[in-house]
Amino acid sequence: MSVTTGSLRARFRRTDRRALLVAPIVLFDLAVFVVPFGYLLRISLTERTSRGAFVEGSWSIAGFEYVLSTPTLVDSIIFTLGFATGVTALSLGISLLYAYAIWRATGGLRVLLLVGVLVSMLTAIIVKLFAVILLFSPSGFINQAIVASGIVAEPLSLINNVTGAVIGQLYIVVPYSVLAIYSVLSSIDQSVIEAARDLGAGRLQAVAAVVVPHTIPGLIVAGVISFTWSVGSFAAPLLVGSSAERTTGIAISDLLQQNFDWTAAAAMGLLVAAIVFVALSVTYVALGRTNGGDDE
Amino acid sequence: MTILHVDAITKSFGGITAVDTVSLSIEAGELFCLLGPSGCGKSTTLRTIAGFEQPDSGQIRINGNDVTTTEPHRRNCSMVFQDWALFPNKTVRENVAFGLRMHDVETAERQQRVAETLSLVEMADHAGKQPDALSGGQKQRVALARSLAVEPEILLLDEPLSNLDRKLREAMQLEIKSIQQETDTTMVYVTHDQDEAFTLADRIGIVNNGRIVQTGPPAEVYTDPTNRFVESFLGTTNFITCEVTAIAEQTPQAQSATDGGTPPVELATPFAEPIPAPDLDHLDLGATVTASIRPERVSVATTQTATTDSWLFAAAGTVEQRLHRGSRIRYELAVGETTLITERRIDERLAAEVGDSVIVGCQPTAVTFFDADGRRLR
Repeated sequence: MSVTTGSLRARFRRTDRRALLVAPIVLFDLAVFVVPFGYLLRISLTERTSRGAFVEGSWSIAGFEYVLSTPTLVDSIIFTLGFATGVTALSLGISLLYAYAIWRATGGLRVLLLVGVLVSMLTAIIVKLFAVILLFSPSGFINQAIVASGIVAEPLSLINNVTGAVIGQLYIVVPYSVLAIYSVLSSIDQSVIEAARDLGAGRLQAVAAVVVPHTIPGLIVAGVISFTWSVGSFAAPLLVGSSAERTTGIAISDLLQQNFDWTAAAAMGLLVAAIVFVALSVTYVALGRTNGGDDE
Repeated sequence: MTILHVDAITKSFGGITAVDTVSLSIEAGELFCLLGPSGCGKSTTLRTIAGFEQPDSGQIRINGNDVTTTEPHRRNCSMVFQDWALFPNKTVRENVAFGLRMHDVETAERQQRVAETLSLVEMADHAGKQPDALSGGQKQRVALARSLAVEPEILLLDEPLSNLDRKLREAMQLEIKSIQQETDTTMVYVTHDQDEAFTLADRIGIVNNGRIVQTGPPAEVYTDPTNRFVESFLGTTNFITCEVTAIAEQTPQAQSATDGGTPPVELATPFAEPIPAPDLDHLDLGATVTASIRPERVSVATTQTATTDSWLFAAAGTVEQRLHRGSRIRYELAVGETTLITERRIDERLAAEVGDSVIVGCQPTAVTFFDADGRRLR
């Protein structure tokens, strides 16, 4: 009996000491995530008021009621989810191709492709979006090129609309997606493609059957990055979109700064966070299921 | 029946000729080894047969059909890679089933063939495992099974055992040989290991600098090399650099008339005794000739009374070093300005200690001669 107690005590002591190792990150999380999030939750549950940001110390669900009953705000949430889904799909497609190109390239070309991603990643978002304007505006390089080549007579409107918002957002998320996918791709041996070809797979078949399944963990990470970032998108729809591209980020910013309605802003922020969390969880579980079922 | 014809293929990479007018013909059911040092072009030759490389010139025919420009997946051959290239996120069973799936073999037959092939390589118990969970030897077996499952007309193996330790390698060599005999599959096997080639091959093609130097059964290439490179690559040998000091005067008519009785060419050696060589084709006085004697064929007499009459030459030397190498003992004998190596089985050790004087020589048939360009002289 005494032996058991002694070993239990020893085990506790050991656990305590190990817990110390995690302490810094727990404290950091508490300070920068849990406390502000709790504060946000508290504000979302206060009474709304026209005199000031919110009524301190009050309890109410008026903020949530307001957000869910205001068509412009609900539309904003729906638009944002659609926008984020579209951007994520495009981002995954582009990033998979780009990452595959890096993986297959050798020597200087591989370095060049990688540097391209890193430079884009390290460029400030605003600078990147101005580059998008320079490239895609009606008098920009791309429009000049396609008009000059005679494919279209008039310049295409590629910015200041939803296309522009999507392009801008892609410029922001694609570099991260590429690196997430490439990091997984680089761990497989290129000879598996030759092996697949050798066993009767065509070029595309070899990639689809051997490479893509292996990149799934990378695709998940890339998808999460693209989706969560796009749900929170602000700069791209604001600078290269139009007023119709009112994402939740822009709506919340308006609630905070123009309406000075912190209760509604906090409630909307929490709603979006909850929706994203549910969406990602469902996707993750669904992907896990299809992956596990691939057996002879 | 000849199943594979490789007709004068050449392949260069950026100015470096990896494969230089290589021609081969492989018989059905044969195990053919391409043997050569690393970087000699043997793997490129194999990859060209598989279709991963396009030859700059030349033709490849399988069963009489020109497949030179056919894509790899449309050729009826399959390759076992050096690093095995197993699909990392498929189980052993899925790996082996992959080729059959690509060939649209229906499920029931596919499952049966996967099971058969896995039991052929003794991996049936591991069918559900991921490649990561397997040892090197097991991965090798799966790679072999994956290629055999599609029943290729030609199985190409690119140094498949070079990542295994020696013991496992030797066991797998015998196993590949028995699988080859059991399935009657034509195999082209690339290796840099001469022991492996000798163990496995029905015929060996020796490759150097992108060219096939000699082709033939293992025993033939070992005992009858056409080229100095082949002689040196296939195991240790003693090269003795000699100079032609005398050629018996004779007319061409006399040469053909006196069969076997021709006066010898005399070669000056780095030791006191000249080597009387048989008549060697077109040699000039002063030409350099390399004589090669395999260590196991060097004769050593440890007593002055020993008979050396039948020897080609008999030179005085001393035992310089004795090295025990497992079942064999290697002696280094200082003879004049050169050192000759000889090997004896441990139960046939020389009755001589380091520093003892001995007489060194060899039987007339033990020597092969090469000219300054490395060509065999006969």
